[in-house]
Amino acid sequence: MANLLWLQGGACSGNTMSFLNAEEPSACDLVTDFGINVLWQPSLGLELGDNVKAILEKCVSGEIPLDIFVFEGTVVNAPNGTGEWNRFCGRPMKLWAQELAAAAQFVVAIGDCATWGGIPATAPNPSESQGLQFLKRQRGGALGAGFTSKAGLPVINIPGCPAHPDWVTQILVAVATGRAGDLSLDELQRPKTFFSSFTQTGCTRNMHFAYKVSATAFGQRKGCLFYDLGCRGPMTHSPCNRILWNRVSSKTRAGMPCMGCTEPEFPFFDLAPGTVFKTQTVMGVPKDLPEGVDKKGYVKLTAAAKGAAPAWAEDDIFVV
Amino acid sequence: MAETEPAAGGEGDERLRAEIAAKLKGGLETEAWPRAGSSEMVNEIVGRLRSEAQDDLVAKLVVAGVTDHPIEADDLDQPCETCMYYLVHRRFCELPELMIPVEPTWSCRLWRI
Repeated sequence: MANLLWLQGGACSGNTMSFLNAEEPSACDLVTDFGINVLWQPSLGLELGDNVKAILEKCVSGEIPLDIFVFEGTVVNAPNGTGEWNRFCGRPMKLWAQELAAAAQFVVAIGDCATWGGIPATAPNPSESQGLQFLKRQRGGALGAGFTSKAGLPVINIPGCPAHPDWVTQILVAVATGRAGDLSLDELQRPKTFFSSFTQTGCTRNMHFAYKVSATAFGQRKGCLFYDLGCRGPMTHSPCNRILWNRVSSKTRAGMPCMGCTEPEFPFFDLAPGTVFKTQTVMGVPKDLPEGVDKKGYVKLTAAAKGAAPAWAEDDIFVV
Repeated sequence: MAETEPAAGGEGDERLRAEIAAKLKGGLETEAWPRAGSSEMVNEIVGRLRSEAQDDLVAKLVVAGVTDHPIEADDLDQPCETCMYYLVHRRFCELPELMIPVEPTWSCRLWRI
């Protein structure tokens, strides 16, 4: 039996909603099949008010062993570092987060807000939001760069806006069943099993990427979304086209550009007008190139690929 | 002013391509410079295509800075044939605000790769 406590800071509840839609395993499977005891969760917990506070205090004191502390949403520090804008159970949530993280065997940050600050931390960041151990790409965050939980791991970051439900439940199962040691984290503390490949990996539009045929407007079933519509699939680490959403699709499969939501810089360019759904260029060359590709190589590759494109690549082959 | 044909391909493309070629060869001065060096400039030029040019072929050519020869900018050749809006087999510019038949060796300041 592993005790799990889930709290929300500056959050929209999107990751909770995602979690509740998990299928492999489901949120119920966590309890019935994998021995996770959910002490409290904002959308599932029965306790209110002082009864919730009592659970939190017992976790902090050690009276209730806290195995997994899950945090969703930003750690809010406003105003002036006090955290008073986000109070919970009688005090700033940031204090609960710090004390519960110190008491837990494992700490898991779910979603962009808890990992890097996400949308709330976009400039000018009026809520003085941080992630648990990062602010955007800068290590530190609310718990500090050197934080490790009792089990010796840093915060396990599962980013996304929201995180895919199965990323969440599969990591929770791994931790709860004593396989945390098998988890390999990348430099941003994301489980490599999910975040080593790219969103583009498995994308059904890859042939259009290869032959440099662009989608030039929404709704086109042909064409790659990278060249004009701002898709960040080639630069974003996520398995969105390997572990499909609702088991059937993904943003890019549905014609929606990847917005890079598993990367610390999301939302990119601080959502400045003209930057969303539009590939940013410098003298005609994308400002952000596929990872590992330099400008010279990109120009050579794309020019050659364009010249070699077969006629079918320019047609809509997804005929209804 | 001539109006752009809806995207059709075939003879319609050929006729329009020849018409454009004749205009460019005849000395039509287009705004080939400055090139769209930033996304802001791209947005500005595309905005002008929407508001000033619309279906006016000559205005499109002028605002987009279409030329019948490649332009080099920032040490890069910018011919239509390497532009992401160019359909190789149809020899056609698929930028929604242009949608005109072109030649691979032409260029415009909205070139992007």
